[in-house]
Amino acid sequence: MNAQRLGTVVRTELAHQVRRPLFVILLLITFLVVWGLSSGNVTIESGASQVGGQKAWVTSEFAVSQTLIFLTFLLYTFFISVGAGMGVIADEEARVGPILHTTPLTPREYVWGKFLAVLAAYGLALGAMVAFLVFFHHVVPAGENAEYRGPLSLLNYVRPALFFGVPLLVFMAGTAFAVGELTRRPVLVYFLPVVLMFICAFFLWDWSPGWLDPRVNRLLMAVEPAGLRWLSETWVKVDRGVEFYNHERVGLDALFVFSRLGFIAVGLGGVAWSARHVAQGLRGAPVRTVKGKTLADVPPATPLGTFREHAPLASLNMGVRAPGLLSGLWDVARVEARGLLSQPGLYLFVPIILLQTVVQSLNAVGPFDTPLLATPGHFAVRSMGQASTLVCLLLMFYTVESLERERAYFFAPIHDATPVRTLSVLLGKAFANSLVGVAILMVTWLAVSLVQLAQGNVPVSLVPYAIVWGLLMLPTFVLWTCFVLAARAVAGGRFGAYGLALAVLCLTGFAAVRGELNWATNWPLWGTVLWSDLGPFELDRTVLVLNRVGALGLAAFFAALAVRLDGRRAPDSVSLLERLKPRGLLSGAWRLTPWMVVPAVALIGAAVQVGQGWQGDAAKKRAKEYWQKNLATWKDAPQPAIQDVDLDVDLEPEAGTFHTRGTYTLVNRHDKALESFALTGGDHWEDVRWTVDGKESEAEDRSRLYVFKPVGGMQPGTVLRVGFDFHGRFPRGATKSGGKVEEFILPSGVVLTSFGPSFAPVIGFLDDIGVDPKENKYEPRVYSDRYYEGQTEAAWGMGTPFTTRIRVTGPADYTLNSAGVLESDEVKDGRRASVWKSDHPMSMFNIVAGKWTVLRGEGTAVFHHPSHVYNVEEMRRGLNAARKYYSEWFYPYPWKELKLSEFPGLATYAQGFATNITFSESIGFLTKSTSKANAVLLITAHEAAHQWWGNMLIPGKGPGGDVLSEGTSHYSALKLAEQLEGPAMRMEIAKRLEERYAKDRHLDAEQSLVKLDNSREGDNTVLYDKGGWVFWMMEDLLGREAMHAGLQAFLRQYISSADHPVLQDFTAAMRPFAKDAAAYDAFVQQWFHEVHVPEYRLSAASVKQEGAQWVATVTVENTGTGRMPVEVAAVKGERFPERTEEEAAKGPATQSPDYRDARKTVVLGAGEKAEVTVRADFAPERWVVDPDVRVLQLRRESAVLKL
Amino acid sequence: MLSLRNLVKVYPGPVAALRGVDLDVPRGMFGLLGPNGAGKSTLMKILSGLLEPTSGEVTLDGADIVRNPEALRPHLGYLPQEFGFYPYLTGEAMLLYLLKLKGVTAPQGLKKLCAELLERVNLTFAAKRKVKEYSGGMRQRLGIAQALAGNPKLIIVDEPTAGLDPEERLRFYRLLAEVAHERTVLLSTHIVEDVAMLCPRFAVIRQGRVVAITSPTDAKAAIQGTIFEGTASAAELSELQRTRRVTQAVLFEGRNRVRIHAPNAAVPAGFERVTPTLEDAYLLLMKDEQTPAEASAPVHEVAR
Repeated sequence: MNAQRLGTVVRTELAHQVRRPLFVILLLITFLVVWGLSSGNVTIESGASQVGGQKAWVTSEFAVSQTLIFLTFLLYTFFISVGAGMGVIADEEARVGPILHTTPLTPREYVWGKFLAVLAAYGLALGAMVAFLVFFHHVVPAGENAEYRGPLSLLNYVRPALFFGVPLLVFMAGTAFAVGELTRRPVLVYFLPVVLMFICAFFLWDWSPGWLDPRVNRLLMAVEPAGLRWLSETWVKVDRGVEFYNHERVGLDALFVFSRLGFIAVGLGGVAWSARHVAQGLRGAPVRTVKGKTLADVPPATPLGTFREHAPLASLNMGVRAPGLLSGLWDVARVEARGLLSQPGLYLFVPIILLQTVVQSLNAVGPFDTPLLATPGHFAVRSMGQASTLVCLLLMFYTVESLERERAYFFAPIHDATPVRTLSVLLGKAFANSLVGVAILMVTWLAVSLVQLAQGNVPVSLVPYAIVWGLLMLPTFVLWTCFVLAARAVAGGRFGAYGLALAVLCLTGFAAVRGELNWATNWPLWGTVLWSDLGPFELDRTVLVLNRVGALGLAAFFAALAVRLDGRRAPDSVSLLERLKPRGLLSGAWRLTPWMVVPAVALIGAAVQVGQGWQGDAAKKRAKEYWQKNLATWKDAPQPAIQDVDLDVDLEPEAGTFHTRGTYTLVNRHDKALESFALTGGDHWEDVRWTVDGKESEAEDRSRLYVFKPVGGMQPGTVLRVGFDFHGRFPRGATKSGGKVEEFILPSGVVLTSFGPSFAPVIGFLDDIGVDPKENKYEPRVYSDRYYEGQTEAAWGMGTPFTTRIRVTGPADYTLNSAGVLESDEVKDGRRASVWKSDHPMSMFNIVAGKWTVLRGEGTAVFHHPSHVYNVEEMRRGLNAARKYYSEWFYPYPWKELKLSEFPGLATYAQGFATNITFSESIGFLTKSTSKANAVLLITAHEAAHQWWGNMLIPGKGPGGDVLSEGTSHYSALKLAEQLEGPAMRMEIAKRLEERYAKDRHLDAEQSLVKLDNSREGDNTVLYDKGGWVFWMMEDLLGREAMHAGLQAFLRQYISSADHPVLQDFTAAMRPFAKDAAAYDAFVQQWFHEVHVPEYRLSAASVKQEGAQWVATVTVENTGTGRMPVEVAAVKGERFPERTEEEAAKGPATQSPDYRDARKTVVLGAGEKAEVTVRADFAPERWVVDPDVRVLQLRRESAVLKL
Repeated sequence: MLSLRNLVKVYPGPVAALRGVDLDVPRGMFGLLGPNGAGKSTLMKILSGLLEPTSGEVTLDGADIVRNPEALRPHLGYLPQEFGFYPYLTGEAMLLYLLKLKGVTAPQGLKKLCAELLERVNLTFAAKRKVKEYSGGMRQRLGIAQALAGNPKLIIVDEPTAGLDPEERLRFYRLLAEVAHERTVLLSTHIVEDVAMLCPRFAVIRQGRVVAITSPTDAKAAIQGTIFEGTASAAELSELQRTRRVTQAVLFEGRNRVRIHAPNAAVPAGFERVTPTLEDAYLLLMKDEQTPAEASAPVHEVAR
């Protein structure tokens, strides 16, 4: 390689690259984005979000690494791919090759020179990014963001640029160069970064369920080109605290170093391959020699002219008839399709999109990280967002390049002079390109159906795909393709069209992220539709149809615009100026007006429906009025308690309406008279009428807070009967942009609860109505340390338990379930009337109705959609066991029946109302269990436990209260899993809860359990996962029997009490049952009052044989915090070998007879280490900390050491 | 009849490519001669409906093809100066596709017609080869085949013989001559020999204006007896170019063979009267001084 010539190529190409608008735009965007991010928006998710909390700096090496990865990956990869990948293609289009390659310049010099120039240009851009970061972080005054900025350390910027930025740039530049050079197809060059971005953003960066095998996780870290997964999984996932992130360096490990070197090697290898390919191409394609053949046997490329006389051309009798719209369209589409088939991109990227969509959707997880079954409808909807985005990008690239094709191949003069109609050409091309999208969807359907067949659980069906992908998604593709046609016609070229189309995609994404899309503007239907096997698209059906009609109408408009602007005749500049004058523009717009009629009518109709809907501006305003008018007067104002509820609810699921008549018997349990009391009504109620003790009452309507002022007030102990009568549609009108709805009356099912005023009044003022997170969000309340002393009010429900009688009427083919015991169930004149009466007081009630099949158990019942049979046996087993064992362990179940009813998956939750648990179809019914983790049992056991923890015992309102509902339910579920499935199952589930806690907690913001009020990020996992673990560890400390005795005593004390307990009440109640009070106090202090988690590391392991025994030694260190007795075991063999699903179905996993272990218990405080030696009569293979999974810890997978 | 009236085309710059072309092209073969940059290709593009003129009129048998270029397309056969085809299609598929786009019909079916046309341009042997494997000449012949398809009323061929070997060039001329009987064939070229061979009439275009409309015979007759040929050294040639109207000067066996136009002046020693060629006539037209109107007309005035 000649250095001088190489240098010449590099200098020339570099000068070209840095002067390109592409490069300047990149620098400009980088500048603006870095400016925007310097306020602290991108930092490590650590530290405390509340005012005064310690903040993670944007200037730390960790934060800079994240920022740099995001910017480099999201911006630079696209630009460098175009810069590198289009280099050779542009030279080819400019036809400089023959001249260039007949100079002494070698292919290697040419290829490496061009590549190095691109790399140098974007290396400069990376340097500029670093400079911008330093400038905005340290030179520009910080103002109110000062707390996010630390001192300047250049290494914090240079190291991330070197370790994350450079390998990524080399990899992307090299692979894009190779793709461009090898294929000479621009589409592939553009598509490379897009596909990588999707794989990373939606899979590699995001997908990390607790049950993921660490080896697979490491592999995914190694193959992720940006390094974000490695950074996240190695350093960020388990929160190490803001001090650590602000001051420490990002430590590199062998996996990272080798994977980065690998990416650099792939990039450089691609360039080397390209150089070879260019050299080969210059000499022509190699031809394999055929044995025994001489040159004479090979025919010449062009035979000698064999001139012969022909009949005159006129004898051919040619005629001409201008092709019609459809025949032209068909001819163009066919040839276009042949062109598509000849492109390698189709075969390279379609499988990638397919894989991405299928894997992502099949790996969907539900609550508690449980995997979900992929039924056809749910899969079709779940894959919609990704598929529509990916296919839209694909269509954009293919359509634009297709429109550019004639020009690129110099075919345009001949093509454009033919009489085929422009509309035929545009639509023919669009149609052929749309076939790519259709092919992707069909192959995806085939792949998923094969997976479903292999799973053998869910039936294969084409109908949901036809509805979701056909009726909903195809209009999106048609609209998008027509828009791209119009964008290209307006912009007049390739890059202008990309700019316009990408801008629209980005703006739509931006609006989606900000929640500003609605049914009138959400053209790709992102995040709008939810599937239910029980009845698809019942909610919002009208606006959905209007949206799709609008999309098709807009598509026609854009097609008309494209035909009008896409002149096959180059316009004259003078007449173009005439057309751009206001008069010309108006005239042009007027001609397009007819095309706007359909989309305008449809989309304005949708907008009106949204505005009038329950999430519309008018409804928001009314809710705000409720909040504004009543907050000061009625928040926390004393209210009477309910003594009895008597309801008559008439349901019309087909119409979505209800009619409620009923009475609340209220009693003043306060020691003072109540001058007035209030009931909250629903915004959707109509013709509301009230009575008090049977007499008409004119309650004061304060924006749906109905205030009653009994004459003389309501004296202590006084009982009043408040009657009500109203009707309405629920929910009223359309949602804003689809999404989840928790309560509804629909043909496929009904879910109504007493938590809000959906079908019955709620006592008092509801402080969450009318609260906008952006405008009037509450600051977390600060409680005093001893707030729980005295009587603590209930965290939810309507005060002390009460009796109920709920009569529900509805169509005869519906089952109408409510809380209590079924007193009567009659069908008359096609209407069913079911009367439910409480056989034991309860604190809240609900109604759930549907067209179900029922599976009854021992005092239990599972009501489910006839096709959702996958898990109902397991759910019944879980309910039966929960009822039996929880009654034994905690408190006898006081109600006659425990039933579980399925509702359409318009929201993903389950609620354990007394006797009447509601399960979304997406929970439990579609959960996928594995041989290792019985997710169905876990969910059923958790929700069933709420009968005890949440219904019988309603925790107090205040910090730590919820732990007595959710933490105890998780603990109960762990116990039940061990009871039914053996210790292996409990260990596996416990490990997953532990993983989730480690992943989701925010160390610096984490509150101790007694302070936990669910107001901070990361509180949820503390509430559920840590809570469950702590109760489990408490049982370990106290012993099983003592724990049960303590829990029983605790429940007896509080079940009927007006004082609702919080954790301090719980720990006090349990203390008498501890054998070692000091150890108990230390445990309570550590796990309930403080935030400590151990993290164990093993080192210096050795083993030697002494006679028939082996002596194994290891050093154990607690690199975390907290002090717990923990077992350390030298083990041999697999304790619970992998089992197939069939083996798992036979019963609990049993310990392998080949498994052996020798254990010792150590107690290590933070930073303490100890040497552990055990003697064993077997040859140990590895050391394991906490082999029985009994101590909550961080990074358990690292507390294993092979010998 | 193809009629052009006061056709003007101004490109942004502004640069005037056509400065008011008036031309009537009768049925039969008609040549358009001019040097590079004279405006020939711009004129061809306007005539084929690919470029909007700044002003002026173009009609084909009375139909306005400036306002309504779509009306022309079914009746147009166009072979541009630079063109290509989809490289991934075979020659046969490409031609078939174009026949469909043009709406060509034939009693024997399009496939057979396609084969016939390929046979006429000597591409039968390569019908099944992909176009990307075609040589430059083969691509040109495929272009000719598509231009002839469909009995177009107007055939526009822009530098059609570029890349053709002499045998193919002759064959193409024969084809053109054959079809020119019943339609208008406009041949744009800067190769005078092509015009001399094919066109009974031709126009010469220079700097966006038609400077002559004539026939090869008339053009040659106009300079009959005024062309002299002799040899000259480099120094002598230089002197001749300063003092005489040299039409051609070519090297022959190391010496300059020079042709001069001398209608009145005395002839240099050693020069003999020769029969004028069309090339002499064309080159003389190119060497004519600009008319005062051409030289002084401001662009905006031309581009009204």
